Amino acid sequence: MGQIVQARGSAVVATSDTAPAQYLTFTLGGEMFGVGILNVKEIIEFGNLTEIPMMPAFIRGVINLRGAVVPVIDLAARFGGKTTTVGRRTCIVIIEVPEEDTRHDIGIIVDAVSEVLEIPASEIEPPPSFGARIRADFIHGMGKVAGKFVILLDITKVLSVEEIAMLTGSDAGATDALPAPGSI
Amino acid sequence: MDEITSVFIQESREQLAEMEAGLLRLEQNPDDHDNINGIFRAAHTIKGGSGVIECHFIEAFTHRVENLLDALRNNELAVSPPLATLLLECCDHMVSLIDVLAAEGEAPDADLGAKGDALTERLKGFLDGIGQPAEASANSELAVQDSTVEVESSGGGIVLTDSWHISVRFGENVLRGGMDPLSFIRYLASLGEILGIQTITDAMPVAAEMDPESCYIGFEIQLQTRSSKADIERVFDFVREDCDLRILPPNSKLSEYIKHIQELPEDTMRLGEILVRCGALTQAEVDQGLSEQKSSVEHAQPGDPTAASQLGQILVDHKVVHKEIVDAAVVKQAQVNDKKAKDARLVRVQADKLDQLIDLVGELVIAGASANLLAQKSKQVDLVEATSVLSRLVENIRDSALQLRMVQIGDTFTRFNRVVRDVSKELGKEIDLVISGAETELDKTVVEKIGDPLMHLVRNSLDHGIEPTALRLERGKPACGRVALNAYHDSGSIVIEISDDGGGLNKEKITAKALERGIIQAGETLSETEVVNLIFEPGFSTVDKVSNLSGRGVGMDVVRRNIQALRGAVDVASVEGEGTTFTIRLPLTLAIIDGFLVGVDKAAYVIPLDTVVECIELKNLPSDRNFMNLRGEALPFIRLRELFEIPGDAPPRESIVVVQFAGQRAGIVVDQLMGEFQTVIKPLGAMFRHLRGIGGSTILGSGEVALILDVAALVQTVTHSEQQLLPGRSHAAPAALSSNQFTQH
Repeated sequence: MGQIVQARGSAVVATSDTAPAQYLTFTLGGEMFGVGILNVKEIIEFGNLTEIPMMPAFIRGVINLRGAVVPVIDLAARFGGKTTTVGRRTCIVIIEVPEEDTRHDIGIIVDAVSEVLEIPASEIEPPPSFGARIRADFIHGMGKVAGKFVILLDITKVLSVEEIAMLTGSDAGATDALPAPGSI
Repeated sequence: MDEITSVFIQESREQLAEMEAGLLRLEQNPDDHDNINGIFRAAHTIKGGSGVIECHFIEAFTHRVENLLDALRNNELAVSPPLATLLLECCDHMVSLIDVLAAEGEAPDADLGAKGDALTERLKGFLDGIGQPAEASANSELAVQDSTVEVESSGGGIVLTDSWHISVRFGENVLRGGMDPLSFIRYLASLGEILGIQTITDAMPVAAEMDPESCYIGFEIQLQTRSSKADIERVFDFVREDCDLRILPPNSKLSEYIKHIQELPEDTMRLGEILVRCGALTQAEVDQGLSEQKSSVEHAQPGDPTAASQLGQILVDHKVVHKEIVDAAVVKQAQVNDKKAKDARLVRVQADKLDQLIDLVGELVIAGASANLLAQKSKQVDLVEATSVLSRLVENIRDSALQLRMVQIGDTFTRFNRVVRDVSKELGKEIDLVISGAETELDKTVVEKIGDPLMHLVRNSLDHGIEPTALRLERGKPACGRVALNAYHDSGSIVIEISDDGGGLNKEKITAKALERGIIQAGETLSETEVVNLIFEPGFSTVDKVSNLSGRGVGMDVVRRNIQALRGAVDVASVEGEGTTFTIRLPLTLAIIDGFLVGVDKAAYVIPLDTVVECIELKNLPSDRNFMNLRGEALPFIRLRELFEIPGDAPPRESIVVVQFAGQRAGIVVDQLMGEFQTVIKPLGAMFRHLRGIGGSTILGSGEVALILDVAALVQTVTHSEQQLLPGRSHAAPAALSSNQFTQH
């Protein structure tokens, strides 16, 4: 699995050699992350979130995006950390995730959106095999910007609908065992 | 793919479905002539259509099938089971051929081609088996009757009355109008086969008077086609105003031909000759007809209209024209007209256009709700009035729009006639399929997706449900097994039942198998319902022999998953020795429902209105148990606040919404009741497909997202988790143990 991911990652880097890709960077728990700008549909203010019961913590709920119901993922929780506390600059970044023939719109909660950066492929390092505290397959590469690393996310992995559905599935199984309401 | 081809493919599929249904009826009722005609018409339409789009491999094969059907239609062949089987196989083959065309294939691949050849051989076998009745009884009086038989099978040169006769005289201005008479003839040829054509140049003046820009010609055409008169007339639509068109249907009485000849401007004798030449009549018939006519004219006044009818009578008496053939022709005409009239009342619409409409109506409903909300906030009476009228209209539009997409389940059910027939033959069992509730309507999208699970369940009933005939007799049951399909509406869902009167499910065997497969643990005790529902577990199959019908153990859990994907549920009930009933419960529509809006804390939830029975205040609870006394009935209820782990304390006055589904009642405790709400279902998407208890989401007038409760799943989840929570539960003495459990607290 790891090998396949590696191979794919390098292939992406190779193809983007000629045209430096643009990344939207944002902060999350004090760290800088980036996602390919082509995946980003829009950035909206945090609010009007409807929670979905019986779901794992990283699924914060759904929002109404001009008539479409879009799920919102808490990235920090998805990476295994604490759930994001909503602040003044908290945003929802709407990301289009390609999955087989279809596309899903998914929102991610970020602490603050920074800027759009152009990072040439030569400035992208492969992810460290460990130490990032994030699953290696989530990371597309480490972009070097002004001597600092920006974690560039592989959005198809982080927001894999298939995987998230599986996680909620096992969780739904767990809720079966939850105490029934008002049970003795 | 061009439009004609796609229309042809679509229509052919419909024709083939009709043909298949007809063939199945044929087996039951071999003497139904209308039915045979219907089958023939279907095959013929496909043949004609394939000719038009120049798809020769379909045309060639269908032509052979048509030959056999024609023989059947003319009572040359008797319907026998092997013949019916062969025709059904041909029907299947034609479906495959259409598929090839649909996949834009040039020709069928080798396998399919070989299959087609094999079928052709067998068709030939049947056709060769037909004697030569035409030769045997080829006396002059019956010539006309027999010739209709000969037309298709030999294409022979005797009398061809089974074809249309068309007389057309083009008007002088046809050429000036930019029309080429030849192109009409060419187009006519696309309707069928032109057997004979004669050009009439009698109107041509002498060279000195002739205007080269005028058209003087006419044609006598003998056309073999199954198109209707209207179709033929349509060919000449462009020159309808400017030509003299006469069409004689097939099997017309000789008298009509004579009348026809006389009506035409040209010389009678010469026309007679022409008709003979283009194959409409034999010389003998013309002579006979004309001389009879002459003699009757001698008796009657010239131009007396009764003369012709007298002649007709004479001819019928002389058996030149067979009475039945005339009648059959008339009936056929009437049928064609009926079908046309029925078609005219239907409009074909692309499914995605409908979907688009439904989407738009959905947006309209949401926009209407938000306008309503604003109007109420503004407290302007006029505005409130206006928006409420508006929302009532929107509601009507919504209902009619949804109605557009509703189709009857009957078509899906009748498909199983064939399945039952084939499978029962294969298994050597005698099985009847009983269909009821075929007129029950449900959303097209649901119908499309329910076919496969139904197929699995029906096959399962046929294969495992119905016992072999010998065993049935031993058990004192009728030899013929019965599988029933039933559909009906029940509180906002549609219920489909597949039942059989077979051996039922063997509970010990299921338990043993489940233990062996590790689906349940030893010592686990289950209720009867739970035991039979184990068959839906993955990897479960009780039959030792794997047949090619079912029994691979992949069936039932796939069935359940497919049905759950449609927000539905499947259950099985079985009485050993008496039969099994599968019950599928599906939502009626996947788009818009009437909802009942309730609130818990700040969140809003929608309960499908069809399931809501009443709302009552939650008070005077005897204890902290989750059931209450509802007019003497113990009503269990669910506290949404606790189930969904919504923080905060309950308000002092809570309400309980009593819901009903599948004959079961339950209560849902909520903070507040917010009234009825038109709910446009927005699916939550693939990410939430494992979420049980929530059927989808909707958008409120305020723009907020509200969740739609799936009442049945919700109650099931709670029941399940509560049962898991109570340890030491036993079915041997469930009452005693659970009461014991209660007393511990």
